[in-house]
Amino acid sequence: MRADRVALLAVLLSGYPAIRLSAQDSQYGIRGLGTPGRWESVRARSTGGAFGPFDPLSPLMEAQLADVGHLTGGAMTAASYRDAETGGSTTALRETRFPLLQLAGPIGTRFALGGGFTTYLDRSWDVTLRDSVVLRGVNQPYTDELTSNGSVADLRLAAASRLSPRLALGAAVHVLSGSTRETAERRFDDTTYSLTRQTAEVRYDGLGVSASALLGLAPGLSLAAWARSDSRLRAKVGEATTAETDLPRMAGGGLRFAPSPSVRLAAAVAWRSWSDAGAGAFDTWSWSAGAEVGSRAPIRFGVRGGQMPFGSGTTAPTEFAVAVGTGRAFSEGRALLDLGLERLERSGAGLKEHVWTVLVGMTIRP
Amino acid sequence: MKAARTAVLGAVLAAAAAAACVERMTAPGNCPDYCPGGQVTLIDSLLATSISRDSAFRGYVLPNQGAVMLAADLPGIVDGRAIFRFSAVGQRFPIKNNDTTTGAILAGDSARLTFFITRRDTAAHDLTVRLYRLPIAIDTTTTFADLSQAFTDSLLRTVNLDTLIAKPGRVDSTTGDSIVVDTTNKRLFVSLKLDSSQARYVFADSGKVAYGLRISADSLASVAIGKGDLGPLLRWHIVVDSLGTQVKRPDSTMAGPSARGTPLATFVFAPPAAPLDSTLAVGGVPSARSILRVAFPRGIRDSGQIIRGTLILVPAAAARGVPADSFVIEAHTVFADFGAKSPIVLDVTRTDTTVIQVDSTDTIQIEITNLLKFWQTDTTLATTLVLKAKYEAQAFPEIRFYPSAAAAYRPAVRITYVPRFPFGKP
Repeated sequence: MRADRVALLAVLLSGYPAIRLSAQDSQYGIRGLGTPGRWESVRARSTGGAFGPFDPLSPLMEAQLADVGHLTGGAMTAASYRDAETGGSTTALRETRFPLLQLAGPIGTRFALGGGFTTYLDRSWDVTLRDSVVLRGVNQPYTDELTSNGSVADLRLAAASRLSPRLALGAAVHVLSGSTRETAERRFDDTTYSLTRQTAEVRYDGLGVSASALLGLAPGLSLAAWARSDSRLRAKVGEATTAETDLPRMAGGGLRFAPSPSVRLAAAVAWRSWSDAGAGAFDTWSWSAGAEVGSRAPIRFGVRGGQMPFGSGTTAPTEFAVAVGTGRAFSEGRALLDLGLERLERSGAGLKEHVWTVLVGMTIRP
Repeated sequence: MKAARTAVLGAVLAAAAAAACVERMTAPGNCPDYCPGGQVTLIDSLLATSISRDSAFRGYVLPNQGAVMLAADLPGIVDGRAIFRFSAVGQRFPIKNNDTTTGAILAGDSARLTFFITRRDTAAHDLTVRLYRLPIAIDTTTTFADLSQAFTDSLLRTVNLDTLIAKPGRVDSTTGDSIVVDTTNKRLFVSLKLDSSQARYVFADSGKVAYGLRISADSLASVAIGKGDLGPLLRWHIVVDSLGTQVKRPDSTMAGPSARGTPLATFVFAPPAAPLDSTLAVGGVPSARSILRVAFPRGIRDSGQIIRGTLILVPAAAARGVPADSFVIEAHTVFADFGAKSPIVLDVTRTDTTVIQVDSTDTIQIEITNLLKFWQTDTTLATTLVLKAKYEAQAFPEIRFYPSAAAAYRPAVRITYVPRFPFGKP
């Protein structure tokens, strides 16, 4: 009977009306190229990202694909509830993303291939401005609404090989592709002035390569290292190129320690040269540490911190997050459901963000 | 147990789906720190010399083609008189109901003349109408001078409408006249009883009669009299020969002739409209229109988004009349520029208007945003404006604007527009 009630609640919840499907990850991304995506599965993100270098379904690295064992597919969704404090006011925002879809499987005994997409830059935002201008000798108040809806996706084709029981290597090519539908609207209070609304579809493209290594230092102790270089992001409206922006080089590494079969600890660090993107962009460091305890329904938790690449001040905005999560296998391990919850704080010149994010991931092993 | 697991899983997925379907992403901007790099910019430009090859033409709507008859007594401005001719009642009329036998119409016993005054200046006092008998030969070419004699010696009735309105029930029991004040539609319905000398039945004319109306008041004497469905009607009371016996129709046994309408309803006036000169005339009778060619800059036309466009006109001569004669002028675009005969686009969404106040020489501004936007939708359209009165030949006043030849006061267009937004730039 109780199960029936839960099922009924599920049906009612799923009937909630849809309004707009788009995303907006941070106000900090409005001024720059966008908000960089997190190349982590729900499992990795529930540990603050510390397990990202070691998780086969996290597209941060490639070398860990060598241990995937079976054909595996995974996807995730993330719903964020964000309070943005700026200019003395707080705005509650809500957005949903589907930032990850990955597929990987072994080819022969020593190789593995993987592919999929993840969010490289989120460029969805909706900003309203209230101001006035003197027109024909009269002060005319108006409201501007500038919106962008879309993102740049990272389409990855990766290969990995375990060269020895202690060493695995991987490499990947990345195609950056995406588009945004952008609008600029101005509405005067005085209706003598017509509404102006302009729309354009901006297309983006770019390329990147990456390589990584996974080294077993000792039983239960692994070291990961990775590097990536992306070319430039070209923006086109119609056939006209409107901007070409250099993209960062990146490097990072991680350490995983499993003192027992049911306890796993990890830490990771990454550097990205986002200052290549031009004025208002900063190089960033990020770090994370986390743990996974248990086997059948593990408990995961972790923390992470670091910097945001775009901000208005002289230093990069910072962020700090704690995360917790769990997972459960179904159908004799052929399906895995991962759940996570993240609390994130961002702070920069004149802006603070407080974010709750609910993460749901599904992994299938047919 | 399995069902419970399934339910829990369903609840989790449904909650995620529900959360995924709700977006709220509109946030106030904190500029310039956390706003997009590009901003909406405005340009307000006065195109002082963009209008050229402008000219005026008259004769689009003649007095007999107008929707009303005009009557006015404005010394020094205009003297206008409504004239109309009723259709014939015939020479014979049925004797009995349901019987085709007819008898000759011997005379008119009396008649009731009704008409609507559809526009008047409520500030006018002692508004008086004078009814004249006119020759039935009047037609659309009849001039004010042609009828000067009739309007001198053929006065039939003089009725002070203000006095009539003041009477109990708005009925004059002595004369049989009455009036109805329609406050909803802001018009007067006047009913005059005419005796046999005033409604004179002439057998040879089959009862065809023509009348003229003059008006007067202490001031501001200018009215419009309805035509068509609101036109004058004449309901005859006749005397019919019934085998040597004179019977009246209508009586208690039988109805009379139906009300007669006016095949001709027009007006004459003096002095005639001043000849057109280099100024841009709009309105008046016969109606005048002005045509202006606009050099629409390609930069604005092709890539600017117009949010306001205003046509600026400086009056060279004010419209003259009474305040109630203030009129609306419209700016239209054309399907093609054939000069005076350019077919105008009669579409309310592509028509812009303004009110011309009588005796005002203030600069006139007509919002032509709709027209400019229309030109942007099809670059093959002629960028020609036609200025006309909204209701042509329905008011005596006309306004005249300085043309492009008058450098200091020439027509101009002021455009406020938004250039292309810099999409795709971080």
